[in-house]
Amino acid sequence: MSVYFPHKKLPYLLVLPQLVITLIFFLWPAEQAFEQAFYQEDAFGLSREFVGFDNFVYLFNDPQYYKSIWVTLVFSFSVAFSGLAIALWLAVMADRVIRGKLTYQTLLVWPYAVAPALAGVLWWLLFDPSMGPVALWLQYFGVDWNHFLNGDQAMTLVVISATWKQISYNFLFFLAGLQAVPRSLIEAASIDGASPFKRFWTIVFPLLSPTTFFLLVINLVYAFFDTFGVIDATTQGGPGVSTATMVYKVFNDGFIGLDMGSSAAQSVVLMFLVGVMTVIQFRYIERKVEY
Amino acid sequence: MIENRPWLTFISHFSLLLGIGVVALPVWVALVASTHPSSAFGAGEIPLWFGDQALENWRSVFLGEASSGVDVPVWYMMLNSFIMALGITVGKLFISLLSAYAIVFFRFPFRGACFWVIFITLMLPVEVRIVPTYEVVANLDMLNSYSGLILPLIASATATFLFRQCFMTMPGELIEAARIDGAGPIRFFFDILLPMSRTNIAALFVIMFIYGWNQYLWPVIITTDDAYYTLVMSIKRMLAVDQGDIEWNHVMVTTLLAMIPPVAVVIGMQKLFVKGLVDAEK
Amino acid sequence: MSDVVLNNIGKTYPNGYHAIPSIDLTIEEGEFIVLVGPSGCGKSTLLRMVAGLETISQGDLMIKGAKVNDKEPADRDIAMVFQNYALYPHMTVYANMAYGLKNRGESKEVIAEKVTSVANMLGLEELLERKPKQLSGGQRQRVAMGRAMVRDPKVFLFDEPLSNLDAKLRVQMRVEIRQLQRKLGTTTLYVTHDQVEAMTLADRLVVLNKGKAEQIGTPMDLYNKPATPFVAAFIGSPSMNLIGANLDEQGIRLSQDLHLPLVHQHRGSVVWGIRPEHLDVVDEQNADFALRIQAVESLGAETLIHGTVDLGVKQEPIVVRLSGPHWPEINSLLWLKAPMEHWHVFDAVTQQRL
Ligand SMILES: Nc1ncnc2c1ncn2[C@@H]1O[C@H](COP(=O)(O)OP(=O)(O)OP(=O)(O)O)[C@@H](O)[C@H]1O
Ligand SMILES: [Mg+2]
Repeated sequence: MSVYFPHKKLPYLLVLPQLVITLIFFLWPAEQAFEQAFYQEDAFGLSREFVGFDNFVYLFNDPQYYKSIWVTLVFSFSVAFSGLAIALWLAVMADRVIRGKLTYQTLLVWPYAVAPALAGVLWWLLFDPSMGPVALWLQYFGVDWNHFLNGDQAMTLVVISATWKQISYNFLFFLAGLQAVPRSLIEAASIDGASPFKRFWTIVFPLLSPTTFFLLVINLVYAFFDTFGVIDATTQGGPGVSTATMVYKVFNDGFIGLDMGSSAAQSVVLMFLVGVMTVIQFRYIERKVEY
Repeated sequence: MIENRPWLTFISHFSLLLGIGVVALPVWVALVASTHPSSAFGAGEIPLWFGDQALENWRSVFLGEASSGVDVPVWYMMLNSFIMALGITVGKLFISLLSAYAIVFFRFPFRGACFWVIFITLMLPVEVRIVPTYEVVANLDMLNSYSGLILPLIASATATFLFRQCFMTMPGELIEAARIDGAGPIRFFFDILLPMSRTNIAALFVIMFIYGWNQYLWPVIITTDDAYYTLVMSIKRMLAVDQGDIEWNHVMVTTLLAMIPPVAVVIGMQKLFVKGLVDAEK
Repeated sequence: MSDVVLNNIGKTYPNGYHAIPSIDLTIEEGEFIVLVGPSGCGKSTLLRMVAGLETISQGDLMIKGAKVNDKEPADRDIAMVFQNYALYPHMTVYANMAYGLKNRGESKEVIAEKVTSVANMLGLEELLERKPKQLSGGQRQRVAMGRAMVRDPKVFLFDEPLSNLDAKLRVQMRVEIRQLQRKLGTTTLYVTHDQVEAMTLADRLVVLNKGKAEQIGTPMDLYNKPATPFVAAFIGSPSMNLIGANLDEQGIRLSQDLHLPLVHQHRGSVVWGIRPEHLDVVDEQNADFALRIQAVESLGAETLIHGTVDLGVKQEPIVVRLSGPHWPEINSLLWLKAPMEHWHVFDAVTQQRL
């Protein structure tokens, strides 16, 4: 578009609200995080001293931090892969059915609306070692389920809760992607004698790859940041630190451990990571939209 | 699909039903749990069929003290959640409509700079900068207040982007026609731009309402006064008692009540919501 | 009184592109002026400057004696019909037509009266409650005209209003626009790159080339006496045959051994032209030159013959237009005479008519 209103002052008035909010609640805190990352503060917040890169040096020498990176990676990729796989399967099935498609969609999308913290609580109840039906059933089959004591089991629980909520989102995108595959292509392939299974892998799936890649990025971002509630409501990072992701650790070190310098340094590292992810995401968007 | 293969059709329906069943399972159990007395949970196993305490539990949670650890009833927190969700939604829509309008329809010095400042917020989810944001809000004396709950969550590069893209597809001739018809920027905004973007606005409304309603970490941190508790975050307070003292029946009623409004919105406005979600990322 | 005066109007775009160096044009009241020219020559730019949608970089624009350079489009008392109609998609036909009046603060009754009367004139009565999406292309075009007409402006501006219609509808709307304009007597500035549209609609034509007005005049002036080879080639279909030549004592020298006698004091290189319809088929002894036939297009009522004339160093393409059906053989020779009264001769350097 190349047509503009000739006014000179009005546009500033229009962007002002968003700029003010952004400056106060985004840039100022971000700047503070940067600043604080270079200071050491005592636990009561009474005094602080400049320590240069000490917080970062300390952070990257801290095995706990590497542990949290590892936890984050395991958690995020488990959520992303299981969420994508299940959603793709369901979407392919839903795309196949002729009757009841909308009903199926309705019955599958609603978890999108459930808060992550609530998702965590719901699954906790199912897996509660002393009374949860699934836990008791597992115990009956000889699995000694207790996510309060067993770190791997705790991880499994948060992965299930986080995935459960994300399936609906992935499902919608896959379904939209599948519906955008030109019918003529599939018809051509079936005239060429390709079986439904072969058609999917040779034609449909490659056409879906942009959607899949996009969803992968979105799912990783989701698992990184939006799942705080799942973890906080169910395991609180435990047992030990076996489910303490990087975001959880920022919060925990800052608000519970009151180690502001380290928390700020972690924030800075995270901002850098988000920056990278955003650039990837932006690249993806940019390919489709001219700026 | 093209040819009729009964066994494939059967597998499709079966998979979907299984998926729906698994997805719904936790809610089923929660519903059942919400109908039993507290004593039922000490017994070592959650009953698998409905009990007879449904009315008492739902009533006492909704009207009386929600649970040990939370002194206000659920209806009160629901109100708080509504205020926060609506505040965030309306605020986001307001500022992003205006800024997208400025960026697309005007040329002014520092336009690019404004664009990038807004864009940067994409990179800074509140979870990442939680500690300093808390300090800023504390400095501004906004702890335990609605403005503290709402304002920091309002800035939204996502909505600004979506509106920007939507506005950019608007044909230039339309603006020229409006100018010839004597519509200045304000009239154009209200008479033409807003009505033409109404589906986009409605779709974003749904998505942002859910986003606002489901906020957890931020309210947990800045509200210590029960009067500002929101429904979703109150779960944390209810669970913050000794393992054996958790009143599961009350927790589940609260959880279900906290789910109902956003789930109802998604199901009720499914078409809009799906369009908004899928288009937003295109 | 002249209605619209463009006095030394020029446009430089913010990126430095000099779209229009300078144009002078005086439009009389009720006149239908058509701007023609190839794509990118600045037709829309000029029209949009008159509309007030584009700033005027230099010169004065007067409407009814008042300088309007710095007035908002809405205050210039003009109305415009766009190529894509630019109807507001969320408003009904009625609301589309009423919007400008509403913004001017007209009362509901006045608006209703004006819209209804224009709708009657254009046959839109049945469509008033429809949205633009529910209309055909021709109907949308009509609504766009209606929207311009209800404002009862001093000047109508059209930017290629018919280019999105199919051929048949275009002819029909062309006639209708001309009739309406006559009836309303509103001064009109009309942009097109279709020369048939230009010839049939215009009282006067402005042929634009790279932002410059090559010639301003009635359609017949431009056909009979094009001022430059550009105008000569642009007006008329198929285009005039133009050949580079030399003017000497003996006349127009097309090649070493082909010259057409002419007495003229000018010397040097010229462009010699003749329209396809003015070439006559004659026998060999009366002919000026021979055409080697390459293609024949028979259209029933007329026949277009494409071929080349051998000018020694080069083969010059020539088109001949004959009435009725003809079936000459490909590769055969056609003997042609170019009657002198139909010649157009231009100075090759100054590009001016001699
Ligand atoms: N905003 C602008 N900035 C810079 N140059 C422009 C701008 N708008 C148009 N131009 C240039 O000015 C010249 C004239 O453009 P204009 O739109 O007036 O052409 P036109 O005669 O209407 O062509 P068409 O028949 O294709 O519509 C073109 O070369 C174009 O590239
Ligand atoms: Mg044009």
